Amino acid sequence: MRILLVEDSKRLQSSIGRGLRRAGYAIDVAGDGREGLWLGESNQYDVIVLDLMLPGMDGLSLLRELRAEHNPTHVLVLTAKDTVEDRVRGLQAGADDYLVKPFAFEELLARIQALCRRGYDRKNPVVTIDDLQINTATRKAARDGKPIDLTAREFMLLEYLALRRGEVVTRSEIEAHIYADSVELMSNVVDSAICILRKKITPPGSAPLIHTRRGSGYVLENEPA
Amino acid sequence: MKSIQQRLVFGVGAAYCLLWAVGGVAVYLVVRSGYVAEFDRVLKANAQALATVTNQRAGQVETDYSEDLMPGFSPGRHADYFQLWLPDGSTRKRSRSLGDGDLPRRGGAVNSPEIWNLKLPDGRDGRAIGICFVPQLDEEESPGSPHELKDEVMLVVARHRGNLDERLQELESALLAVGGSMVVATVLMVIVAVRLGLQPLWDLGERAAVIDAATLQLRFSTDNMPTELLPIAMRLNELLSRLESSFNRERRFSADVAHELRTPIAELRTANEVALKWPEDVTMARNALEESVAIALQMESMVAGLLALARCEAGQLPVRPETVALLPFVREVWQPLASVASSKQAILDVQIPSTACWRSDASLLRSILSNLLSNAGQYCPQQGLIRVAVDATGTELSISNVTEDLGTKDLPHLFERFWRKDPARSSNMHNGLGLTIARAYAEALGLHLRAEMTQPNRITLILSGAQIERPAPATLQDAALRFAS
Repeated sequence: MRILLVEDSKRLQSSIGRGLRRAGYAIDVAGDGREGLWLGESNQYDVIVLDLMLPGMDGLSLLRELRAEHNPTHVLVLTAKDTVEDRVRGLQAGADDYLVKPFAFEELLARIQALCRRGYDRKNPVVTIDDLQINTATRKAARDGKPIDLTAREFMLLEYLALRRGEVVTRSEIEAHIYADSVELMSNVVDSAICILRKKITPPGSAPLIHTRRGSGYVLENEPA
Repeated sequence: MKSIQQRLVFGVGAAYCLLWAVGGVAVYLVVRSGYVAEFDRVLKANAQALATVTNQRAGQVETDYSEDLMPGFSPGRHADYFQLWLPDGSTRKRSRSLGDGDLPRRGGAVNSPEIWNLKLPDGRDGRAIGICFVPQLDEEESPGSPHELKDEVMLVVARHRGNLDERLQELESALLAVGGSMVVATVLMVIVAVRLGLQPLWDLGERAAVIDAATLQLRFSTDNMPTELLPIAMRLNELLSRLESSFNRERRFSADVAHELRTPIAELRTANEVALKWPEDVTMARNALEESVAIALQMESMVAGLLALARCEAGQLPVRPETVALLPFVREVWQPLASVASSKQAILDVQIPSTACWRSDASLLRSILSNLLSNAGQYCPQQGLIRVAVDATGTELSISNVTEDLGTKDLPHLFERFWRKDPARSSNMHNGLGLTIARAYAEALGLHLRAEMTQPNRITLILSGAQIERPAPATLQDAALRFAS
């Protein structure tokens, strides 16, 4: 899952970025409104975490511009403005959620996870495919009841495939949702990541769940034999 | 009595009642006097009629009195009385109505008769007139006769005054009834008039009652306002304007404080929560600790600023005046700030006479100048000119620099607590208290700090009202010093 954090406080950029990366998200950071708008328009993000009081362009204007261009990305407003009027204004401008500073990082994480699920029409945080269980809330996966040891990026990839289960997911989509702008991608990085993930979620004797659609991409589903 | 309405009703009502009472008494006295005068005229006419028919003949006093001509003296319920005394005091004639009784023997001259009230012989109240006169000679007598009486006889005529008293009683009753009604009507009218007159005051009170902290933008309408209330309404409107701006300033201050605290608290909390969530990540923990220290220092600086302001506003700031030589003082203050300005290649142009000295607290003055020079250095553009100068009187020091961000409309807010030009308040370097503290310190020193846009893009901060230790020289040229930072 790829997140855009638009926040002018360097310290919050740093700590939220560190936390979300450790939680398995790809993070792009913008320090002012104009950069945030440019990134939001240029990339496909699952969630944009948006401060309101920004230099260059305020958060509400940014949000209105995104919505005016029919950008469907879920936006979580993260601000020190705490009055009911501020919240209403934010939600009416097109925000999907509103969190007031100071906030609990766990709550921010849970709200981001909920927004990510909502983006793929999933209300249940647990996705089950055959005997593979993926818990997007606890960030854990298990096959046949046995936990699977995954890195943050591997889990992110599995989660993305799981949320789009049954759909063919292209390499470019995977790149756009799993890797931040700051990461230099090698040409076969997606294929390598899929290969490693496939091995980890397919213990000996188990049916393969990640299938390659040659020339198109990958699909996670329980294919009948 | 605290109510204006009660005071007015009582005062105006009492005045009107008094006027009515005085008027009533005056009317009564005038009418009574008329009644009595009319009564007395009848008495006098009767007395004169009797005197006319009383004459002397051969030394004897005769009265040609006849009850047919003067039936009023006949005995009866409404009878009049008279009695005529000879000069020796013996009764010469009396009315039959008098019976055996006597009237009091007293009287005055014909043109100034004595008139008085008395109890009539039948016990009723009456009024009498007494006159003394020399009876005129009979037609057949000639003046100078040896029998001619020279002494005066006395005639007293009395009448029952029941009719007069009844009329006076009726007058009294009428006046009391009319007077009482008038008093009641007057009081009611005064109450209504006072209420109507004070209605604008009640309206003003009602309009004032709906104004609270949330509706300070409301104003009293001065349209159709009575002249007496107009100055009050205008003063109240001015007071509301001051209150509104004060409340807005306080609200802004509270919001600014909340925001200034919220952001570092959010930074602190997030950094630590993220570090605690992954305790095995030592780098993350170290980063969190380093950020925590930086945030603590930033908050400490803000709290120190707020405390300094609070102390200053409470008058707890110690001021120790001493002689401050301005030129070396400014150079000393600039020294630690020069590195910031040098990165911009800013030029400091100091036009201060070497002899310029102020009597001031060096520590507080240093804080003020340090803040002003630091701002000038940070906000001036590349290769900008910062000019520090003292005016000809030596009491005013100005620091000016070119600014690209500030305009005239920003000047009123420049000294407000936590005001920042950037609404995003992104910078951690400033907390928006510097100029507020500088002005508070200036006031503690008896100085005044103001800001002016001396040119479209040049802001000048002026510290004025200083106590000079020695007069500054008229010309600055010889002492002007220029050095680049």
